[in-house]
Amino acid sequence: MVLLRSVPRPSEGVRHEQGETTAVLDGKGLGAGTLYVAETRLSWFDGSGMGFSLEYPTISLHAISRDLSAYPQEHLYVMVNAKLNDEMQENAHDEEDEDKSSEEDACEGITEIRFVPSDKAALESMFSAMCECQALHPDPDDEDSNGDFDGDEYDVEEAEHGQGDIPSFCTYEEGVSGLRAEGQATLQRLEGMLAQSVANTFHMAGVRTDETNGEFDDGMEVDAGSTVAGQFEDADVDH
Amino acid sequence: MEVSHSIRERTIAENSLVILLQGLQGEVTTVDLRDESTARGRVVNVDAFMNVRLEEVLYRDRRGRLSQLADLFITARNVRYVHIPDHVDIMETIQTQLTRIRRVRNFAGEKRGRKEYLKKKN
Repeated sequence: MVLLRSVPRPSEGVRHEQGETTAVLDGKGLGAGTLYVAETRLSWFDGSGMGFSLEYPTISLHAISRDLSAYPQEHLYVMVNAKLNDEMQENAHDEEDEDKSSEEDACEGITEIRFVPSDKAALESMFSAMCECQALHPDPDDEDSNGDFDGDEYDVEEAEHGQGDIPSFCTYEEGVSGLRAEGQATLQRLEGMLAQSVANTFHMAGVRTDETNGEFDDGMEVDAGSTVAGQFEDADVDH
Repeated sequence: MEVSHSIRERTIAENSLVILLQGLQGEVTTVDLRDESTARGRVVNVDAFMNVRLEEVLYRDRRGRLSQLADLFITARNVRYVHIPDHVDIMETIQTQLTRIRRVRNFAGEKRGRKEYLKKKN
């Protein structure tokens, strides 16, 4: 049994908003409402402000379904790796909820949600917005991931002065195993180029260097021992 | 075939076998999910965190029911296996992806950068 709760309208980081969208939760229609795809969470609520929100780490997958034999309307399908209980908390499966779920679902905490917009043309935008937001929440439990790259952005300043705890991507002195001779040559060329370029008009693969997000602390700028180490101090990069 | 615009993602990919999956862009393949469902479709994108996006998907849920999905995004955590098509040369795919990543770093090309770098092969 799903009870809705009052959901505050997200105030920031909303990548997509879709009104006139019906939510169907585990087969139960909740009526028309508005879907908000925000960077922190996915939420939906109806005209009276009652609804639910989902955390991206609990979303297993999402998809655009145009297969009318599977479901009579085109919609955005979301599979959540959790059961939404009365308090709309995402918890592990509760045995007592089995009467409504199919026997397979009873073995796992899974919730299937369909967001059916009246404007089918919006499905791609809804899907894309979810993809983008999902990518903002990589799995923190993934031990196989390159853990050093999770979370904190690469600290260029620390690396330049050679003393930082640097992730496996190497500095100039160490980690030569990551850079072969041609890699090192590339590094030197790039540093030379950066020194001569005008930072705020430089483009690289569509990324503007005048962006002050930490992502532009390119690993290749790391060079603690380079003879040209000092020249980045005036670069327009947010350290 | 694009390389991620994120430096962090390119760095992760360069140091991980996810780069092989990224090289499967455009290929039709099957992804086995953690819950034992499968999805077969064309790889649109695999990011450095191993989230997989497929299009024109035949999805078989864990009960064996089939449905078609126009676009599917599988969260990395739920990917169990990604099938590498038989015709794909794994080493070559990895090499090609590495080259692409390194080429992105070489700012030359288009109308910017020194011309001498245009010919540089990484």
